[in-house]
Amino acid sequence: MASLKDLQRQIQSVRNTAKTTNALQTVSGVKFRKAEARVRNSRPYAENMQQMMQDIARKAQDSKNLLLIGREQVNTVAVATMTADRGLCGGFNAQVLRRTMRFRREQEGELKQVALGRKSIAFFRFRRIRLEETLSGFSDSPSYEKAVEVGRLLTGLFEEEEADAVYLVYNRFESAMVQTPVVTRLLPAAPDEDQEDQQHGDDPLAAFEFIPGVDEILTDLIPKYVETVVWQAMLESAAGEHGARMTAMKSATDNANEMADNLTRQMNKARQAQITQEILEIAAGAEALGS
Amino acid sequence: MANGGRQLFCRVITPQRMVFDGQADRVVVRISDGELGVLADHAPVVSTVVPWDVRILQGDETTVFATSYGFFRVADNLVQILVEEAQAAEEIDIDQAEHQVEQAERELSEISEAAEDEEDVDRIREDIERRRRIGENFARVAREYREDS
Repeated sequence: MASLKDLQRQIQSVRNTAKTTNALQTVSGVKFRKAEARVRNSRPYAENMQQMMQDIARKAQDSKNLLLIGREQVNTVAVATMTADRGLCGGFNAQVLRRTMRFRREQEGELKQVALGRKSIAFFRFRRIRLEETLSGFSDSPSYEKAVEVGRLLTGLFEEEEADAVYLVYNRFESAMVQTPVVTRLLPAAPDEDQEDQQHGDDPLAAFEFIPGVDEILTDLIPKYVETVVWQAMLESAAGEHGARMTAMKSATDNANEMADNLTRQMNKARQAQITQEILEIAAGAEALGS
Repeated sequence: MANGGRQLFCRVITPQRMVFDGQADRVVVRISDGELGVLADHAPVVSTVVPWDVRILQGDETTVFATSYGFFRVADNLVQILVEEAQAAEEIDIDQAEHQVEQAERELSEISEAAEDEEDVDRIREDIERRRRIGENFARVAREYREDS
């Protein structure tokens, strides 16, 4: 059995850990509420942008815009993986990286990897996977400017024929407890056909007038659309990160407290055992003297 | 959504938040080929928005927003204006808008000196030019519509 002193030291150390994780939990809680509000407020823009993209994509089926319809042959696929900059958030980073690796295995063509967020960069570097581009420093509190930068970078890969398709892997925020890793295709931007056919049986769009014209609008719209998807992903990921960290830190605090309680119980037992031992020794000693 | 009803609704949305969501009698917006006034039961249109003001008229009240570039869509009596920036006329900080213009002008003069990669320079120049125009527009709208001026 561990000595009293050892147990005391252990308890102190566990208590200190609990204090740290508790502080992290509080900080993440505040950040989480802010990030969650940002996600909620930004959703209408993203949803409308998506809808506009769908409307116009259906109208523009004979468009020659490569960003919309894509190239005939998909030889190279670019995958951008978005993680947090920091750890201590449970399986948040691991699950999106695992999803990325699975997606990479499913692809037949050549792969190009883009890492967004420090954890993602470290992961691919460790595995010696060549990184086309890296960007980090925004996971905590993303700015729209950063989304524009990332969006342009990814659109650039397609335009300069570095890649024939561009995918983004990120954690979609469901709640503080649940974040789902998702893969979305950024480019070509045309929505998946089977999906849209089901949604719109009738075609009210025939009546839509596009001013000045479908192609002109597409030229402006597609880069904005990509930026918007990236922006939304950044916000979802940020809210997910803070939520995941809050949850992870809460269970860490709970575990530490439980451990401290158990150790305290052990220590009390040890102390009592020691006292009993001493009394026995004294009693035995007194008896020896008295006889 | 007011399907078939004669009431027009309008939404002005930025990446950060929905800045306007409500009923309107008339919405005036500048799209790529000029100003467009939208009344209830307008034919469906999709277009681009250029920096100017969006005026939303409802009863005796007019709400004015200065906007950046963006997109416009009307269908089923719902007007959607998606822009990167939009600010109500009375909330615009004129000094800040003017500062943005000055800074953009300074950057424009600097960039022509340090020209290296032409394609990049064109792109950067266009970016700055857009920022200048947005700043100018914000300052103009603020001056034009502010009640105390």
